[in-house]
Order: sequence, then C-alpha cells, then structure tokens
Amino acid sequence: MLDIAGRTAAARQRSPLRRPGRRALIRAGVVVVLFLFVLLALPQLLSLYYIDAMTQVVVYSVVTLGLGVLVGRVGLVSLGQVAVLAIGAWVAARLLFATTQPYPLVLLEAGVITMVLGTLIGLPALRLRGLYLALITLMLAGAITVVLTTTNFPNGGHGLLGYNGATVHIPAIRRPAIAESDPAYYRYAVVVAALMFLLVLAHIRTRPGRAWAAIRQSEPAALAAGINTWLYKLWAFALVSFITGVAGGVLAGAVHYLYSINFPTQDSITLLAVVLMGGAYSLWGAVIAALLLQLLPALLNNWGVSADWLTILFGIGVLQVLLTAPRGLADQVPKDLARLGRLLRRRIRRPAPPEGDPA
Amino acid sequence: MPSWQDFEPFIVSGLALGGVYALSGVGTVVLYRATGVVYLAFGAVGAMGALIAWSLTNAGTPDWLAWLVCVLFSGAVTLAYGIVFGPPLARRDPLVKAVATLGLTLILFGLMDLLWTTNGGQSRAITLPTDNGGFTIGQVQVTWTQVIGLAAGVGIVVVTTVFLRYTKLGTAMRAMANDREITATLGVPVRRVEAAAWLGCGVIAGVAGLLLADLVALDATTLTFLVISSLAAALIARLRSIVATFLAAMAIGLIHDLLTPIQSLSNYRDMTPFVLAAVALLVLSRHRVMTASREEA
Repeated sequence: MLDIAGRTAAARQRSPLRRPGRRALIRAGVVVVLFLFVLLALPQLLSLYYIDAMTQVVVYSVVTLGLGVLVGRVGLVSLGQVAVLAIGAWVAARLLFATTQPYPLVLLEAGVITMVLGTLIGLPALRLRGLYLALITLMLAGAITVVLTTTNFPNGGHGLLGYNGATVHIPAIRRPAIAESDPAYYRYAVVVAALMFLLVLAHIRTRPGRAWAAIRQSEPAALAAGINTWLYKLWAFALVSFITGVAGGVLAGAVHYLYSINFPTQDSITLLAVVLMGGAYSLWGAVIAALLLQLLPALLNNWGVSADWLTILFGIGVLQVLLTAPRGLADQVPKDLARLGRLLRRRIRRPAPPEGDPA
Repeated sequence: MPSWQDFEPFIVSGLALGGVYALSGVGTVVLYRATGVVYLAFGAVGAMGALIAWSLTNAGTPDWLAWLVCVLFSGAVTLAYGIVFGPPLARRDPLVKAVATLGLTLILFGLMDLLWTTNGGQSRAITLPTDNGGFTIGQVQVTWTQVIGLAAGVGIVVVTTVFLRYTKLGTAMRAMANDREITATLGVPVRRVEAAAWLGCGVIAGVAGLLLADLVALDATTLTFLVISSLAAALIARLRSIVATFLAAMAIGLIHDLLTPIQSLSNYRDMTPFVLAAVALLVLSRHRVMTASREEA
C-alpha cells in the first residue's frame, strides 16, 4: 500500500524472495536524511520569502495528508477541509490571545477541540456516502465560512469571540519563545508536521488502517467481516480533524494575523484537486500536493506570472487524473508509472522517470 | 422585530431569487437523471457567459446579441465538456463524475480571474432593460426582471415536466435515468440523448447566469458559488423530483431574503441553503438501508 511508485511494487512482484527488511531500512534511511535536510539545511539555503512559502507548504502538507487519508484510505471525499483548518486556526488564535499556555499545549488543545467539532459534524454526515457526503461537506464548509466571515478571527479583543473591530494596533498572534524568527518557526512547523505524519502512519500501519482499507474496498463486505464501519469511519474523521486542527494552530502563528478571506470555500475545491493530483494513496502524495498548492504560487508570484494559471492547471490536472486512472488512482497510477518506466527504458534506453511524478 | 411592511419587498425579491434557483436546480436534476453527472461547473459557465455578455455590451454590441452569446457560450462549453468527458467517465461512480466537473470549474474560474481582473472597487453590472419597468403591489415595487425570475422558475418546471413526459427525447432521458445500459440495448442513441441533456443544461446555466448577474451581482466568485445554493435545492429533492426541487428552491430564496430585515440573523442569511440542505439530507437519509448494489470508487 505504501509504495510510492510502481517500480518498487513491480520489483517486489518480480522478486518476492528479496529480503524486505533491508529495503524498508533503506527507505527509512532516505526518509530520515530527507527530513534532516528539510529541517536543518533548507532554511540556510533559502531566502526569507521562500522560507515563509515553505512554512505554508509544511502546514498544508498536514492538511493534504488529512484529506488524502479520507479520500485515499477510507474512500470518503470531503469538500470542507479548509473550513476545518479555519476552525483549528480560530481556536488556536483565541487560546493564544486568552492564555499564556505553552505553544505545544495550545496546538494540542486546538487539535482536540477541532476534533470534537469535526466529529460532531461528521457524526450525522457519516450516514451519507459517496456523492452525498462530498456535497454535504461542501454545504457545511459554506455555512462555516459564513459564520467565520460574520464573527471574524480573534484579534486580541475580549469576550468569547475575541474580536474588537480595531483596524490599528492589532497585536500579532504570538509564536513559541523558541521559534520567534521565521527560520526557527519553519523548523518548529516541520517538527510538528513530522509528528502528524508519524501519527497517521501509526494508524495506517495498524488495525484502523486495515479496517479503513476494507471499508474503502467495499463497505458491506467490511461490515460482513465484522468491522465496525461506523466506528472506524468516525475514527478517520476524528483523526483527520485533529491533525487539520493542529495544522490550523501552526498556521495561526505562521501568519501572525488571520482573516476570514484567507479561507474561502473555493480553496476546499483546490485542495481536493491537488490531493488528487499529488496522489491520495501515498503519504508522499500529501507532500507533493502541498508543494503544488503553496510553493508553486510563491514561485509564480516571484516570476510575475498570475496565480490564475495555476487554478487552470489544477483544473486540467483533476480531469487528467480522473480520466487516465479509470479504476481509481490506487490501482492505476503505480501500474501506469511502471508501464511508462518500462516504455521509456525500452525507447530511450535510459533509467525510469523520477519517482513520485505528480502526473 | 421588524414590522410586516419591512418584509414585503423581500417576499418579492425572495420569490424572484427562488425562481432562478429553481431554474438552475431543475437544470441540475435533469442532467443528473439523464447522465448521472452532478454538474458543479453550472455556476462557473453561467458566470463566464455573463462576463462575456458584459464585455460585449461595453464594446458596443447590441444587448440582445450579447445575451444570445452568453447563452450560446454556456451551452457550447457544457456540450463540449459532455461530449469530451461524458463517455469516458460514463461508467464511473457519480462522485468521480462530479469531481471531474470541479476540474472544469477550476479551469473556468482561473480564466475568469485572468481575463476579468477585479481591480479595486470597480464593479461590473449587467442591467437588463426589464429592471426599469415594473408595477407596484400595495407598497412594493416589482421589476419585470423579478417577474422573469419567478416566471423562469415556474416555466422550467412546467416545460421540463411536459417535455420528459410527452416527447420522444424526454422519454429516452427518463429511460436512461433508470438504466443506461438497457436503454442503449433497446436502440436509443444514448450519446445523442446525453448530448441533448448537456446542451439543455448549458443553455439553462447561461440564462441563470444572466438573471443572477442582474438580480445579485456580476462577480465570478459570487456567481460560481451562488449555484451551490441551487444545488442545495436539488439536493433537498434528492436529485430526483423536479417539483420538489422547485419548492425547495422557492423556500431557500424566500427564507434567505426574509432574514434580511431581521438584525440578529441578517449576517447569517447566506447560510440558508447550506443549513436547509444539510438538515434535509440528514433527515431524509435516516432510514436508508445499506445495499451492495453500488460501490464508491
């Protein structure tokens, strides 16, 4: 399930006797080296502009990871994840203004509160399936956006909502003491995101992951096999709401000021587009999706190209992904990549294309 | 609590808005029944058609020609999408088909932002000549555009019902709603019927786009997502009944506008379609039995 490209899957099929332990070790080593590079070296190499962009990438990689789990693992399509992110950011901002609690605790609380809210919303919505669930999440996201536009994000005011309508002297949302500067906060975000990825990985590799896979394949069959489909679907919603809420908390500190226009409903659609393009069925897909969503706009902005081209590209990407993978991405993309690799090797006599190609 | 007089004008505007929602809702339902596609790009094609009409009018094109281009554009884009992407996705899950139309939405949305940049406070507007004329009922001024909005809603329900019941093409569409494969086996030209449904839906999208651009605002984002409201009406009718879609659309339009004069709820009135659709879906799905006949992709 966790194979990134078809090459590894195909290779494993050809030689089932090769020791898998070594392969897994190598892969883990690569991940650790990559992680250390991203954590330590990247901020040294990049300008402040790109460090900020990469912080966004890191935050959104957790959001795309969450949507990827829902779409790819459980087979539930949600069109309201940006609204969940907004809830997380709102709660974190309110707590950060109201209390002097340490930052990690606030993140945890934001995650838990978002989890409770997300689960409450998900509880009735989970009766619905497929198309109806996708549309109802779109409706709920629209409703949440309306509420947030009216109540606004906390800006240091008093009362439950914490909004005082001031336009000058708005205090910034604070950051952890150890991560006041942008590079430091970037590293902080990377560590938090890594923890979220590990949390999800721990779920996927164990009992919930297997239950989700069964539900995705066929819900009636999973039910017949004695899986509590209701519980595990709710579990998935809770987990995804939790990590998205934590991501919202990290986002609050990253941008210092939150506005409801930063969370428009259409972003939930773009989010689904990039998750499908990046590949909802692998954890790397979440990283690719976040790079598409946050780094590409920063690059285009730097080059003076309108970000609208990106919206068009995402639209084309969605159609392309859905068309060329008629039996679902999980089945087709690894096969297609393997086939493409073989084809290219035969034609040009060159090694296979790079792994994790978003196409 | 505001007095009855405060509500009166909003009954009129609510009915007009509901009529246009009904127009789009019925278009959505018919296309879904015929092809199995929930057309989420409905608002985007309508919005782009309206923006093109706006540009043409500004360039000195006669109004009627600009409106015609708007309707034809929506029809053409929708038909082209249906012909190109309909057949390859025909056997896929309804969810996949709906998400694919989100791809079209994003493409159109990006194009609109690119071509009609929002520069500062300068706002565009389409004013139909029917805005000026009108009559008064009691104290309330009613414009002909509002009458057209309501009439369009009622008209589409009548026309569609008659069309589906008594014409050959309509019968074919109903048959396809039941079973595409069997209909094809019986010798119905499935693709041609689907193309007709796509074209019809696109034309309706163009008309709805023009009317909404006049009644609400000519703005890409607003128009694209306003159609989520009409989708809510279709959802309340569970994407089946045309009459139920009409009633739901009228309820959404009326409640939305009647909340305007109530201070405490005014800001939340845009939630109306979402809340109504969410509640309706949750209540309606309460007694559903799980079947193995259809699997999600």
